[in-house]
Amino acid sequence: MKVVDRRWFKIAARLLVIAAVLGLWQYVAVSGVLGDDAFPTMTGTLAQLGRELGGRDLWQAIWDTVRGWGVGLLIGCSAAIVVGTLLGLNRFAYLSVIPVIEFLKTVPVIAILPLAIVVWGASLEMKVFLVAFGVFWPLTIQVIYGVRAVDPVVRDTATTLRLRGLRRFTGVTLPSAAPFIATGLRVAAAVGLILAVIAELIGGAPGLGLSILTSVNAGPSRLPATYAFILVTGIAGVLVTSLFSYLERRLLHWHESQRNNASRAA
Amino acid sequence: MAKTPSTAPPAGTDEGRTRSLDVPSTADPVVAAATTPSQQFSARSGRRAFAPVRKALTSIWRLWFFALVLVLWWVLSASSTNTFFPPLKDILTQLWDLWVLGDARSQLWSSLEHFAIGYTLAGVLGVVAGALLWKFARVGEAVSPVLYFVYVIPTAALLPAIMAIMGIGASMQITIIVLAAIWPTLLNTLDGMRATDPTKLDTAKALHMSGTRTVWTVVLPGAMPQIMAGLRHSLQISVIMMVVSELVASQSGIGFFILEAQQRFAITDMWTGIIVLALIGSVLTFLFILVERVVLAWYLGARAVEQKG
Repeated sequence: MKVVDRRWFKIAARLLVIAAVLGLWQYVAVSGVLGDDAFPTMTGTLAQLGRELGGRDLWQAIWDTVRGWGVGLLIGCSAAIVVGTLLGLNRFAYLSVIPVIEFLKTVPVIAILPLAIVVWGASLEMKVFLVAFGVFWPLTIQVIYGVRAVDPVVRDTATTLRLRGLRRFTGVTLPSAAPFIATGLRVAAAVGLILAVIAELIGGAPGLGLSILTSVNAGPSRLPATYAFILVTGIAGVLVTSLFSYLERRLLHWHESQRNNASRAA
Repeated sequence: MAKTPSTAPPAGTDEGRTRSLDVPSTADPVVAAATTPSQQFSARSGRRAFAPVRKALTSIWRLWFFALVLVLWWVLSASSTNTFFPPLKDILTQLWDLWVLGDARSQLWSSLEHFAIGYTLAGVLGVVAGALLWKFARVGEAVSPVLYFVYVIPTAALLPAIMAIMGIGASMQITIIVLAAIWPTLLNTLDGMRATDPTKLDTAKALHMSGTRTVWTVVLPGAMPQIMAGLRHSLQISVIMMVVSELVASQSGIGFFILEAQQRFAITDMWTGIIVLALIGSVLTFLFILVERVVLAWYLGARAVEQKG
């Protein structure tokens, strides 16, 4: 085994790259290539991050963002799972509705944001609506495909055994659709967070996005705070993605797509 | 998601099932088992004369719900006095006046220009960077945590910071589009190239093919379905970031038009902007699908045969 293939070497290389990036950040900021007022130093940003973590404003902003994201995700995903299941179970409904959904999926979600802003103003409702609307269409399609992807043999067996209604749904349809739904949920969670931040940034609803914007507008002295907020947003993204990947692996460990670990459902 | 082409076997089989439900005649397992591929082909070619007509009729019929939605919108909003939901008739009249006859078209070109430059850059850089990370796998592994972090940060959060550095203008908007849209292409290129069949690589080596030639004739075509899936996702993100950058800081573009209409409380004008944006999103996706069909013709053809046989 070569040195470069050893585990400790790989970890060391990764740490080295992270250190190099942080060092480069510091160097660029100190040298002033990007303008002194436009780019804070790495040390200044981390110090500011430490101070913000001790204060209440940052936690309030995180809570606002997480609340808007969570409620929106809950509403959008519940609606998508119900609608997607119903459409997936009926061939006629599926064929009729799929062009509309495919069309709406290509519409940039952001187009609806100005409307939400005039209707609800800079509020939690506006944010929740945007997140729910944004995750609904892609997840619905995912659920429809999942429900329709039942193995024909399994489906026929269920019919032979006269499984109907709820029993058939929970015993046959749902397990077969689960990997599709899980993938859809993981994507929805990440997209939802992005939409929540955009809603705060453009719509002015309180949260991390608004904190970033106000600290930028507050002038150069608050610039380290801006980058501290951006870092926090990035960490929130990492946490959300890791959490949903973990849940997916954990809850679907029985499914073949997870067992051979070759690929995910999409 | 389930529809995007993928080289991974489990996804492929799932996809096959979903697709085949649309075409019951060929998907019937009994028929498929009882007839050889060539028999199926001859059976199909007999009906081929009517196929285009029937296909067109079916696709028109399938749009009935779409039409119903539009008619309902038209009828229900006809006498609407709600400020936020003006009659569809007024919106369409205004749309014609502003975007076809009027000068709002210049906003459209401004937006599309930024989009075109940003998306092209993101696509090219994404494929090149993905290929480099595949080629230098150890470097790729070392930089993966940093890459992952930048990928996961909601790019919109970076917008104020980039504004502070670059100021307001076209270069800032293009930068933000590239920063957001590069990831799906990059990651899909990397994944697709990693999935290259080792046997094919060994064959290329046995034939003494040069490294460049191996990439062009073996690795790249093999990864193409997944690269196209990445490029399609990048396209959608590019459109979104184009609008976001205009909504936050710009003096031109569709996003600016919508925002300005909203601030004037000209709700009908705002609706026209929203509809134009929706149309741009779907027209661009449609164009992309056309390009994809040409680029991946060999792949889609091969897969269709595989499914029938």
